[in-house]
Amino acid sequence: MGEKKSAYLNIGVICAIILTFMIADLMMGDRLYSETENRMLASRPKFSLEALLDGSYTADYEAYVTDQFVSRDKWVSIKTRTEILLGKTEVNGVYLGARDYLIEQHLPQAYPEELIEDKLKLLNMPVEKWDAKVMLIPTADNIISDKLPAYAPYFDQRMFLDRVREYVGEDHYIEVYDKLAEHSQEYIYYQTDHHWTTLGAYYGYHAWAEDMGEEPFAYNLLGMERASENFRGTLHSKTNLGKARDTLLYFPETEERPVSLIYDKTIKRERYYEEKYLDTKNQYGFFLDDNHALVEIQTGYENGRTLFVIKDSYANCFIPLLTPHYERIYVLDPRYFNGKLEALLRACEPENGMEVLILYNCIHFLEDFDYYE
Amino acid sequence: MVFSSIVFLFRFLPIFMICYFLAPGRMKNFILLLGSLFFYAWGEPVYVLLMLFSTVSDYMHGLLIGHYHGRWQAKIFLISSIVVNLGVLGFFKYADFLIGLLNGIPGVEISLLQLPLPIGISFYTFQTMSYSIDVYRGEVKAQKNLLDFAVFVTMFPQLIAGPIVKYHQIDAQLHTRKADVQQVYQGVVRFVIGLGKKVLLANNLGLVWSQISGGVVGELTVLTSWLGIICYAFQIYFDFSGYSDMAIGLGKVLGFHFPENFNYPYISASVTEFWRRWHISLSTWFREYVYITLGGNRKGLSRQLVNILIVWMLTGIWHGAGVNFLLWGLWYALFLILEKLFLGSLLKVLPKTVGRIYTWFVVLVGWVFFELQSAESIGTYLAGMFGVNGLGWADRQGVYVLLQQAVVLIIGAIGATPLIKNSVKSLGKVESGGPMLVFRLGAAVSIPLLLLLCIAYIVDASYNPFLYFRF
Repeated sequence: MGEKKSAYLNIGVICAIILTFMIADLMMGDRLYSETENRMLASRPKFSLEALLDGSYTADYEAYVTDQFVSRDKWVSIKTRTEILLGKTEVNGVYLGARDYLIEQHLPQAYPEELIEDKLKLLNMPVEKWDAKVMLIPTADNIISDKLPAYAPYFDQRMFLDRVREYVGEDHYIEVYDKLAEHSQEYIYYQTDHHWTTLGAYYGYHAWAEDMGEEPFAYNLLGMERASENFRGTLHSKTNLGKARDTLLYFPETEERPVSLIYDKTIKRERYYEEKYLDTKNQYGFFLDDNHALVEIQTGYENGRTLFVIKDSYANCFIPLLTPHYERIYVLDPRYFNGKLEALLRACEPENGMEVLILYNCIHFLEDFDYYE
Repeated sequence: MVFSSIVFLFRFLPIFMICYFLAPGRMKNFILLLGSLFFYAWGEPVYVLLMLFSTVSDYMHGLLIGHYHGRWQAKIFLISSIVVNLGVLGFFKYADFLIGLLNGIPGVEISLLQLPLPIGISFYTFQTMSYSIDVYRGEVKAQKNLLDFAVFVTMFPQLIAGPIVKYHQIDAQLHTRKADVQQVYQGVVRFVIGLGKKVLLANNLGLVWSQISGGVVGELTVLTSWLGIICYAFQIYFDFSGYSDMAIGLGKVLGFHFPENFNYPYISASVTEFWRRWHISLSTWFREYVYITLGGNRKGLSRQLVNILIVWMLTGIWHGAGVNFLLWGLWYALFLILEKLFLGSLLKVLPKTVGRIYTWFVVLVGWVFFELQSAESIGTYLAGMFGVNGLGWADRQGVYVLLQQAVVLIIGAIGATPLIKNSVKSLGKVESGGPMLVFRLGAAVSIPLLLLLCIAYIVDASYNPFLYFRF
């Protein structure tokens, strides 16, 4: 082949690539949502002279064309694979850990001193006025750090928890870190999700019982029921990587006695567990029907004790374990609650008083813990 | 519109190219002008009028300067042309800087204009000034055809980030140019390589730099600070030279021969050499139109050193209206002067490696001035680099970033040397037989693959700035 001919051919290949994707792209319809990226995609911007002149129209249009580009998901996956080939061990804020573990990244600089101080101050009211116990759970990067990529940095939650202990005092602090660290080689965190497993929650429950001086209920580890074996959680969604599938387990003992739950004062249920989530991406929603502002639980244990839990999603698989200890449990997720916390606490408190528990993972506590005075 | 975007690659570029190649001879310039105006207006819907004003103004000035060539009126119109160009540039780029300086005087309080900087204004005003000066010097004839002249000013490949084309470099091509298939192919290859430099290397390393410099600058160890500024050095090189490659490549496809802008600056063994290899179209502009006009080296050593100082202060300030850019220029002036005085001859007798390490050191410290705008952050960053902040040599995070970026940095380091170019050249010399086929096949496969990879990175880009758009 002559040089000229081969030049024509090579130009032809490049033109073909551009024209093929351009035409395919023009023929493709728009999508609202990307399942793989777990986000809304940009849609066609509305034209207006004003938007054109201030430059926002063309900027929005570029975002729209990029988001809606043909086979977007495949391109994204090509990029991810190339990155891994180039030696990257993190994708979209998720570490690609050993043994197919996906571990959420929390960089030290994301949690500066001022933030920690602000959040600690928010504990004053519940701790001083309600004698609340504070139970903060470390995230996977701190406990199964042996599975992190080499030298991967993480926010040191041991040091943070020592600060919390010092701030609220030994009597109000429940130590979970050490207990989880003892069991770090067990299946206490999901491989594809940022939550702890039911087994992790079980160890958390024991740590809680020890600190509270409660006799722990004899849950049978070998008798755990399997809800799902094909769970792929939030970290899988963020990376689209890893062959691992997680198993969702629960303790049947939590259903020994009839229980009644009222979600947000309207929906009534007779179980802690909602099987409808097992057919969706959000299988962790199985526990306590995903996220609700307020759950009121009536257990079958008539001991007159009431507990009020202020919590994040880590608590969802933990709370059923508390069943044998309380007659009533209120569960509040402040992210979805617009009322005033103290007013709610007073409204829920029975005449013989109630206990208050603040239960978060360290990261959610620093990022999300907040309430209206 | 930036080259590394879906809108450019899959909308503007194919539609423009189809129209351009279908258009008959003299219509091509018209299509090029229309396309360029659309391209510019996409990003600057208002300031496109400013660019048109500049075009018409310089067109008329050119005619007048040409008409009065050799007479005193020519000088008047040249001065008027330069005043208009520098006036536009000064108003949009430097007014707030000057107001800020004036406000430093007690009792003076002028409110800032806070105008957004028109994209590419530093580039196209320099191009049009080169035209007026070239006409005045009689090096070229004034362009009588407004269309051809408008194409020179607004041409989209190099409009917004150079290379700064001096008028005499493409005078003839504005009217008649020929693009044979081989040249078009070279242009395509050049464009894709430039795109790869920008999208695969610059964006990746830029992300590292923005993470390092965006964090708490005062808490960087020696390792992290050097790693950060090295990543920035590679980012700005691949960003800017990638853009120049794309511009030159597009130019070739259209039949233009734009001047080269970079010649592997990071292998330089002296600062003088660095500036012969870095942003060549800007440094030759200052050389031709300022340094030599001031007398260059023909009026004695002390005058030459003053000239260097002036040119490098201007070079610094050209990059941005800020004291840090002035310092950056002066930093280079210092070493250029030292090299003129004795350092240059000293470096010549020392091994080349010494010169390279010294040059890298000057350049990297220079980038700290260049990129970190405030005196405070420059100070703390330098403190980190030289380990005087007491944070030690390295921490976990620094080692992690190094491990993460090792492959990209190695690719970048190889890409910043002529290694690949030279081996491709020697391979390309093979005239026939098996090796030649393998070589051609390699090029035929790798360029489309590189393009596909770039598309993947553009589609999933959270970070895609063009550094030189600010200038």
